[in-house]
Amino acid sequence: MIRRLLVLALFGTGLAGLVTKRNLIKKAYALAIMNSAIVILFVLEGAAIGSDAPLLGGAGKLFVDPIPQALMLTAIVVGVCVSALALTLAYRLYRHFGTLDIDEIKRRIGHE
Amino acid sequence: MSDSELAMLPVFLPLAGAALSLLAKALHGGAKARALEDSGAFIGLALPWAALAAMLPRVLAGGVSFTVSGWSGAIGIAQRFDGLTWLVDVLGLTGAGAAYLYSRGNGPKGPLFTTVYLIQASALAMTAATADLFNLFVCLEILGLASYVLVASSEKPGAFLAAFSYLAVSSAAMVFFLFGLFGFYRVTGTLSYEGIQAALVALPDGGGAIATMSTACLAAAIAIRVAVMPVYGWLPDAHALAPHAVSAILSGVLIKTPLFALGRLLGYLPSGQEAMALIGSAGVVTALAAVVVALSQKDAKRLLAYHSISQIGYVVAAWGLGAPAAMAAAFLHAFYHALFKGLLFLSVGTITDAAGTRNVYELRGAAGTLGKSGDRFRLVGVAYAVGALSIMALPPLNGFASKNAIGYLFKGGWRYWALFAAGACTVASFLKLSMIFLPARRGAPADAAGVAGSVPGLRIGGTMKASMLILASLCVATGLFADATTAAVSRLLGAPPPAGGAFTAANLLKALQTLALGAAVFGLAMSKPGKRLAAAIRGRPRSFAGLVMAFLGGLAVLAAALARFG
Repeated sequence: MIRRLLVLALFGTGLAGLVTKRNLIKKAYALAIMNSAIVILFVLEGAAIGSDAPLLGGAGKLFVDPIPQALMLTAIVVGVCVSALALTLAYRLYRHFGTLDIDEIKRRIGHE
Repeated sequence: MSDSELAMLPVFLPLAGAALSLLAKALHGGAKARALEDSGAFIGLALPWAALAAMLPRVLAGGVSFTVSGWSGAIGIAQRFDGLTWLVDVLGLTGAGAAYLYSRGNGPKGPLFTTVYLIQASALAMTAATADLFNLFVCLEILGLASYVLVASSEKPGAFLAAFSYLAVSSAAMVFFLFGLFGFYRVTGTLSYEGIQAALVALPDGGGAIATMSTACLAAAIAIRVAVMPVYGWLPDAHALAPHAVSAILSGVLIKTPLFALGRLLGYLPSGQEAMALIGSAGVVTALAAVVVALSQKDAKRLLAYHSISQIGYVVAAWGLGAPAAMAAAFLHAFYHALFKGLLFLSVGTITDAAGTRNVYELRGAAGTLGKSGDRFRLVGVAYAVGALSIMALPPLNGFASKNAIGYLFKGGWRYWALFAAGACTVASFLKLSMIFLPARRGAPADAAGVAGSVPGLRIGGTMKASMLILASLCVATGLFADATTAAVSRLLGAPPPAGGAFTAANLLKALQTLALGAAVFGLAMSKPGKRLAAAIRGRPRSFAGLVMAFLGGLAVLAAALARFG
């Protein structure tokens, strides 16, 4: 139970950061933290039955469920793409406005 | 070639085209690079039509289910190619093809743009056909990533921020999608729609609270892509600030494909019907609320973007009924909207580029401005007129047929009147936008105001005209032959053939009433108090945190409602 609560806390941290932080970079990291929380959840629950690597010839051992791990490999790749693109956009905005504060950027775009 | 290979061609051909045009990037320009890019675009956007034509007999015979590359059902990716897939592919290819043609004239240009565009086209076809939950996740992420890049490709600072907001909100939503996916995997141990359905039926409580919560997470995450209330907030900026060709495909195609993919998924889930009904009711509210905001806008493209939200509200309202006949009406309006909204974004985009201002209250004498940019035969003006009359649902254009088909579904209820009011506001809003064709005011600097912001050296070239001509002719053709189109779509979706045609006396009378009411609303909107109200609606506070909170709120309502039904 304590592990699930920790995952939930990690997820909450990310979500709170995404909503409350005004800095674009921090928002991008908050997204990455949320994504990590869900990855850990999948891996954690996939290992509920056993934690041995599912290899041929390992009869009698308690294997992890390999499917959640395979899914999360893909989800991690997607997450990296999203982070990279978010940081790129933040950088382009910083280069144009000289600030990373989303409210300030919004205000200046409104004046243009 | 086997059925399953043929059915994957609309996915693989655009990917092959994307690879070719990425190769063109490596050649650093020149005739060879251009030829490579063009052939990539041809392979990706034209050849899939041949695959669709070849699939038609199989689709009419009931469609095919298969796993990608023939893997066993337990580990393979399940796909379903049926009438719905075929129709959504037609919608996607029409919108994508026309918008790409326009982009060859008015940008964005270059092999990188073409590559991302083709990746998006491929993901659209995959999304339409997928019958596997995790594959749906991947498809939605690819669609998302491609569209963030495409929105940002206009290189405007506002577009970067719009792309960032869109990215952050929909990525946060996709985390909830994974939660939902996790819930179903935990309960059923499988990810294919059919497998999930079979496992849930076998369970004594049908999956219980976990299945209900998971359904809510999946539906809410996809609803963000569809931009139905209350999770629509990212759309106006993204669609208004993207390049015109990208706006056309985003509004025309990208908000609809996830909707039909969601419909396919919900059809397999125990509380799917309730979720669809609930989202459908939200769609009616969306149709009316968004059009009121649209009416208050002064930026021409933002006005069109809010109309996209409103029109998708019509589509979602019909889609929410779930029956094949309602699905046929929903698809028809989605398809017609792709045609006329694509046309409107392209023609209005061309006009604002030529005039150098997007302010509806200032821009006047659009026809003359267009003439100076090389539009000698007033083609852009005619294209705009066709698009505007279509969205206003006036006969004999296509919007008339599809809006009446949707209205017919709701005859007598509050939804009918809400959609009728939305139709009148649409008329008012396009009367307002059409004022850009009024002659320039005396005393106002007709050209001087414009030239400062206009796109330097804008020439309305052949490809731009061709794309508008194609869309406009399709609007007219699908309008004139509305009954035949409706019958064909109904047949593909397995719906009973509709009773009665589109051009009945009652429908014509309703169009007249809508027009009269719309003119009255237009008069009110242009009055002094009306303009003050419009400014207040425009200036309402909108924040990034609000987008996320709207999503969480929507998710909570959906989950609570589904739990009550369950």
